[in-house]
Amino acid sequence: MNAIEMNELTRRFGDFTAVDALTLTVPKGTIFGFLGPNGSGKTTCIRMLCGLLQPTAGTARVNGHDIVRDAEAVKRSIGYMNQAFSLYRDLTVDENLSFFGGIYGLQGEHLRRRKEEVIALVGIENYRRRRSGQLSGGWKQRLALAAALIHEPDLVFLDEPTAGIDPVARRELWDLLFDLAGAGKTLFVTTHYMDEAERCNEIAYIYLSRLMVQGTPNTLKALPEVSPAGTRRIAVATAQPAQALVLLKRQPFALDATLVEAEIHLLLPEKTEEGAVPAALREGGIADAAIRPITPSLEDVFVTLTRRLANQ
Amino acid sequence: MRDALYGFRNIVTKELLHILRDPTTLVFALLIPVLQLVLFGYAIDFDVRHVRTVVVDMDRSQASREYIARLQNTQYLDIASYLPTTDQAEQALRRNETYVAVIIPPDFGRRYGTARPPEVHVLLDGSNSQVAGAAMNALQNPPDLSAPNAVDARLNVLYNPANRTQVFTIPGLVCVLMQLVTVSLTSFSLVRERELGTLEQLMVSPVGRLGLMLGKIAPYSLLAMIELVAVFYLGRLIFDVQIVGSFLLLSALAVPFVLAALAMGLFISTVAQNQAQAMQMTMLTTMPAILLSGYIAPRETLPGPLYLLSDLFPVTHFIQISRAIAVRGAGLMDVLPSVGALILLTVLLILASTARFQKSVG
Repeated sequence: MNAIEMNELTRRFGDFTAVDALTLTVPKGTIFGFLGPNGSGKTTCIRMLCGLLQPTAGTARVNGHDIVRDAEAVKRSIGYMNQAFSLYRDLTVDENLSFFGGIYGLQGEHLRRRKEEVIALVGIENYRRRRSGQLSGGWKQRLALAAALIHEPDLVFLDEPTAGIDPVARRELWDLLFDLAGAGKTLFVTTHYMDEAERCNEIAYIYLSRLMVQGTPNTLKALPEVSPAGTRRIAVATAQPAQALVLLKRQPFALDATLVEAEIHLLLPEKTEEGAVPAALREGGIADAAIRPITPSLEDVFVTLTRRLANQ
Repeated sequence: MRDALYGFRNIVTKELLHILRDPTTLVFALLIPVLQLVLFGYAIDFDVRHVRTVVVDMDRSQASREYIARLQNTQYLDIASYLPTTDQAEQALRRNETYVAVIIPPDFGRRYGTARPPEVHVLLDGSNSQVAGAAMNALQNPPDLSAPNAVDARLNVLYNPANRTQVFTIPGLVCVLMQLVTVSLTSFSLVRERELGTLEQLMVSPVGRLGLMLGKIAPYSLLAMIELVAVFYLGRLIFDVQIVGSFLLLSALAVPFVLAALAMGLFISTVAQNQAQAMQMTMLTTMPAILLSGYIAPRETLPGPLYLLSDLFPVTHFIQISRAIAVRGAGLMDVLPSVGALILLTVLLILASTARFQKSVG
């Protein structure tokens, strides 16, 4: 059985279609990356899957429960972690976990044991008597994850779980997510970070309320729209990347040029001469360019696909 | 000077934009005084007339009927009904079904206009000092009788015989203040969670809607009960307003009042979109609590629609109970209709809140 099955799932707000006929399947036990620019409909989709929002058309099943008819059964079987910290800031770590365990029906010894388990899992032992509002961003997110897991859901929705926390905390949170996936949980994650997307087993990319592409990171990189036959991709490293980008974009051989982490990713026809790129740069006064061939990153994939659609 | 004012125009522009983006809040704020002036300008008539009166006419003669008609003509008294016995008249007073009872003796017609004028006994409810004053006026300066002393009206002020204003005001004031406090206790509860984002976390959980509503009310009801009892004691301590009836009964009947007021706050919380709106709506309930509830002027002076509106406020019913027990020494049976009204209000408000609060967004 799949953790999530969406069939033509649609939500409109007045004239605006926030989610347009989304058909997607999320297999059990995967880390599923749900990506797309802001406003593309990711949060609306998650809210429908969590039973918070009624679909305008289409259906979806979450853990086998219909999201409209069995919304309450869906709610019991999932965990939900919001991008904004949404636990009680005036309660301690311990009190928050007791409360959220309690409203999912845990009590007595069972509740106590589950609390210890999630506290150990996210490693928040030292702060259990601290008010959650006084925790740093990274610890807040760990606590939120602990609260989302307390009732042992098989499926957890994480809406931008790492937004606004520092890189170390981000890395640590992802280590936790891998542990959970290893233990058989299904994680449905939205993120804007491409390095996080690379770590997902499977990715769906939403653009303008529609599903643009779905697959593993490697299948997406091999898509013909991203890497057309007869082209190759190179990375150009220089001390003046911004000027170099402007220069290269003007060249007739540049099929596509993007700045990725201070390097320029350039798509060119395969038969372009080796010396063409350094020559063009030298002409513009940039002599320090180092060039190496690359396979497309996920960022290249999404930038390329988004541009193609935007131009249509 | 120029530096001090730097940015003034930008701030004004920005503030205007805020107002344009959320016009509801402003319109509401500006509309409240207009609305309330219109409502309460009509409602408050300190010139108390048409005081509800019952008559026990033991004579049933031409003379007694004329006398009754004259009392009615004063406009101060409004003869609502005729009762057969004095006992029933007293019960009507205790139950707040009437403020004045005029008891006409069997020899009224025989002695009318003679040297020994008939003695008419008048029972007055002193728990509402304004009403009592108006009634006294009507009876002591009798209307165009054939002779100035044709009738000897003997006034007997039941309850609050000294006609102390505080005996009238304190049992009402306690109720008014308690409604203000209790409504504001819960009116922020759901909106606050909505603004903090914790409501969304609750909505994805299996928590029941009714469970959420009752869970929000329960802890405050205990607090409000303790405060209510304390305030009654304080009234006794400072203003020497004794509670004539059973204090235990009064405390017990405060339970449905406190629950109804908390449920009203909760309902506000389901309607308001943010804390500012919740604040405004709470303020909106303040003036009716003071002006429509019967705390100042008797509810009978209200025009019809406002009379019905006043029924929706828990304080209206609890003032009846409070004055009945504290001043008139009434028992449970005497205040049963008010208790029923409070229970009905509580149930309706909780059901309405539960129905309004959907576990979904958008």
